[in-house]
Amino acid sequence: MAKRGKPRHPLHTLRIVCQLVFFALFLVLLVLTALGTAVTAHDNLAQLFLITDPLVALGSALAGGFEAILLLSLIVVAISALAPRAYCGWVCPLGTTMDIVDKIFFRKRDRSKNVAPRLRQFKYALLLALLVMAAFGIGAYGWFDPICIATRSFGMALYPMADQGVKAVLAAAERGGLPAAAALYDWAEKSHVLIRETNFKQGGTPTAYAWSWVFVALLVGLLAAQAYQKRFWCRNLCPLGGLLGLASSLSPLRPRVSDECTACDACRRGCKTGAFQPLQGEKKYAGCAQECIACWACEREFCPVDAIHIGAGAPRPIAPAPQVMPSRRAFLGAAATGALLAPAFLLDQRTRAKEETNPQFRPPGALRPDSAFMGACIRCGECMRACPTNALHPSGIENGIAGLWTPTFIFNIGYCDYFCAVRKADIDAGRTDEPSNLCGIVCPTGAIAHLRHADKAKWKIGTAVFDKSRCLPWARGEECLTCEEQCPLPEKAISHETEEVINLEWLKMPQPKRNRYEELEEKLLLRKATPREIDELADMPPKKRKLALPYVLRDRCNGCGTCENVCPVDGPGGVRVERLQTREIK
Amino acid sequence: MHGPMNRRDFLHTAGVAGAAICGAALGGCSSGGASGSAGGGDLRCRARPHPQADAWKARLALAQGGDDPARNVRTAIEKLCGADGVKTFVKAGDTVAIKPNIGWAQGPEMAATVDPAVVATVVRLCLEAGAKAVKVFDNTVGMASKCYEFSGIEAAAKAAGADVFQCAPHRYRMLKFDDPRCKRLSEWLIYEDALAADVLINIPVAKVHNLSYVSLAMKNLMGVQGGDRGKMHQEIYQNLADLNVMIRPTLNLLDATRIMVSGGPSGGKKDYVVAARTIVAATSSVTLDAWATDPLNLPWPKGHHDVAAVKCIALGAAAGLGVAEAGKIEVVA
Repeated sequence: MAKRGKPRHPLHTLRIVCQLVFFALFLVLLVLTALGTAVTAHDNLAQLFLITDPLVALGSALAGGFEAILLLSLIVVAISALAPRAYCGWVCPLGTTMDIVDKIFFRKRDRSKNVAPRLRQFKYALLLALLVMAAFGIGAYGWFDPICIATRSFGMALYPMADQGVKAVLAAAERGGLPAAAALYDWAEKSHVLIRETNFKQGGTPTAYAWSWVFVALLVGLLAAQAYQKRFWCRNLCPLGGLLGLASSLSPLRPRVSDECTACDACRRGCKTGAFQPLQGEKKYAGCAQECIACWACEREFCPVDAIHIGAGAPRPIAPAPQVMPSRRAFLGAAATGALLAPAFLLDQRTRAKEETNPQFRPPGALRPDSAFMGACIRCGECMRACPTNALHPSGIENGIAGLWTPTFIFNIGYCDYFCAVRKADIDAGRTDEPSNLCGIVCPTGAIAHLRHADKAKWKIGTAVFDKSRCLPWARGEECLTCEEQCPLPEKAISHETEEVINLEWLKMPQPKRNRYEELEEKLLLRKATPREIDELADMPPKKRKLALPYVLRDRCNGCGTCENVCPVDGPGGVRVERLQTREIK
Repeated sequence: MHGPMNRRDFLHTAGVAGAAICGAALGGCSSGGASGSAGGGDLRCRARPHPQADAWKARLALAQGGDDPARNVRTAIEKLCGADGVKTFVKAGDTVAIKPNIGWAQGPEMAATVDPAVVATVVRLCLEAGAKAVKVFDNTVGMASKCYEFSGIEAAAKAAGADVFQCAPHRYRMLKFDDPRCKRLSEWLIYEDALAADVLINIPVAKVHNLSYVSLAMKNLMGVQGGDRGKMHQEIYQNLADLNVMIRPTLNLLDATRIMVSGGPSGGKKDYVVAARTIVAATSSVTLDAWATDPLNLPWPKGHHDVAAVKCIALGAAAGLGVAEAGKIEVVA
């Protein structure tokens, strides 16, 4: 930022305050969602930034997952139609992160020669391609939406690191003999501040997510791209920025350059998003509303002759800076790319086994068929962050490229908790209509519905199946039944019968002894055994022993995965949830 | 020039240092956090046995009837210990650890967890006897926050003046099961507050269990264990006997106000619960279990189990922890 010793415009100061306030709000809401059951608000207001995101609203409307609450995003559109992309400059947490990192790492870097004017058209092309794909039911817009990016990177990578880091530091301090650390840990856990409840079924594993290193790498990449241009992402790539840019063309408030302009180039060099460009054929500059993020630095700080004014009254007519919008041909190309990629994605999906009847393990309440869910899901990860047992994770491309980062269960890590969002107060008051699934409560689109507790208990995620080559009683003759013990259903979906099985101690006997055993046993049966022979038989291990063998009662099982989670078999469990018979239990 | 450069330098340094600390912390967390350290060489359960523990190995006290479990608790303890009650084993300034069954996210009416009034009464009695602190905790089976809340135990024990907390993963210690009477387990993670307390009070709830037939005092002690408790289920009776050799509560207090007769240990249906209006106090977990397992003494469903089938009792008796034979148990009623 060029310092000219001029005081800031008050709106510049206000903008910075506003950015920091919204950034802090973003982080607080992020942590509230991660604390799961501690958030008792039974609506998705903690997803404030996602439910006011116009790209999420438009994309999910096209893809079929629109929720009425997304109409709140009209506020953001309206702001852009009144002041240029003020949302990007004043609110967006990803934009604020960009500004903070730029301030720390790149403030001395001269990037004024890196103009690349045509690059900025890409965000409009990307927006169009994503919306076309959304119309085909592909939720790809979620990969590129800046709020989703910030939510994933901060919420599924940085927050778990902070959570583990705080716990580890406090634990180390406690071990080091600092009683205050122990007290602080207890307070933080009890008051649900920062520290997330640890999942004890796995012996105390802290929260972590699949793909988290990718989310960090992507964030670092986007931030590092500022070495080339300030706000590289916002300027050139952000599809939400493109959408708000389109709305900004209506904005009466825009950067206006008066005749006093001396074409000194200070505004172009200073502007974060390159909103100022020289007018062709004139020794004057013009500002562009579609690119301006209303940061209010130009008006007083950049222009040495006070020729810039962000306002409604026009000192001179606005000539749009050239090459902001892509050409018609580029638009057509983008639309065509989306229209070709979407069916290709769908084809890829169809090659995966039985997509409609055999989808990923989706959260309870997920839209069915799975293709509808894939369109409505914006891959923001809120369901995974709210999941109290850390069971939901971003999937890979097991279900086709289009399924990337949509939620799936990893039962080795967590399980679908029977009570989840159910509150004691609701039980005591006999309220049965309250939503009981945190994943559905926090879902900002219609991808995961609210489920009453009675409905959640019956929602079939999958069906538990015993792997008789790994289950301890079935495979190794050891007693166990941990699965049945922990099945949370009042009418347990796992039962057992005590049956006679071969005694492994008997098998340890060499063959001649086994033969002798059978000979004696036959004699005993025919009542021909002498007392000495009866004693001899009694000294040998019996051939059969009784063992409780577990069975799944599949019509009761809802596939919550508690059994798989607690199975003491290391590696793949002896009981696993399979994607069989995913219709609801009667 | 100097100002911004210094700040920049500072941020760089702070960033690098912060990353190093986080890295070290994460390393420490993954290596030592949940698994716990070996601790001192003399790590053991420090809870004092009841002064009469040896003399009362075969003795238990009953309080039955009425609708007030709190009164039954007081009566049972007074019958066992005499008029001085809790004062016979809690000294002024003691730290008392209470391990009730808070294992499941169910209300007390489901009999999956101990009645909150029972816990609160014991807390009050200990504080009246001069205890410095009374800690109430359980390594729950369901999510701890839900279990603590739904069972009503957290609220009741706090109101009675106890320190109620969820078990934190870094506070487990690897206890060597080095007593020669331990036949199967060689070590296990045990919660440090259960090891460090002067007095340990074990409060089980009486219910059926899908593997061990019944879940009583010996089984309830699993709540002080960390780690993968599913691995306790292989030869569970020997494991329970080993655990009870290493962890010796000062007092065992069975809550059989209601007993769960089906669907155990999680339950969740009122049909599974019958009223028994009984509190049993004993210094030996084995003797208490031997009495409580007997269908003659508590309303277990017909044919559900034989006392002999619950083998941890005989194994515990063989280890000298109590008596298994019904005829040898001295019942103070």
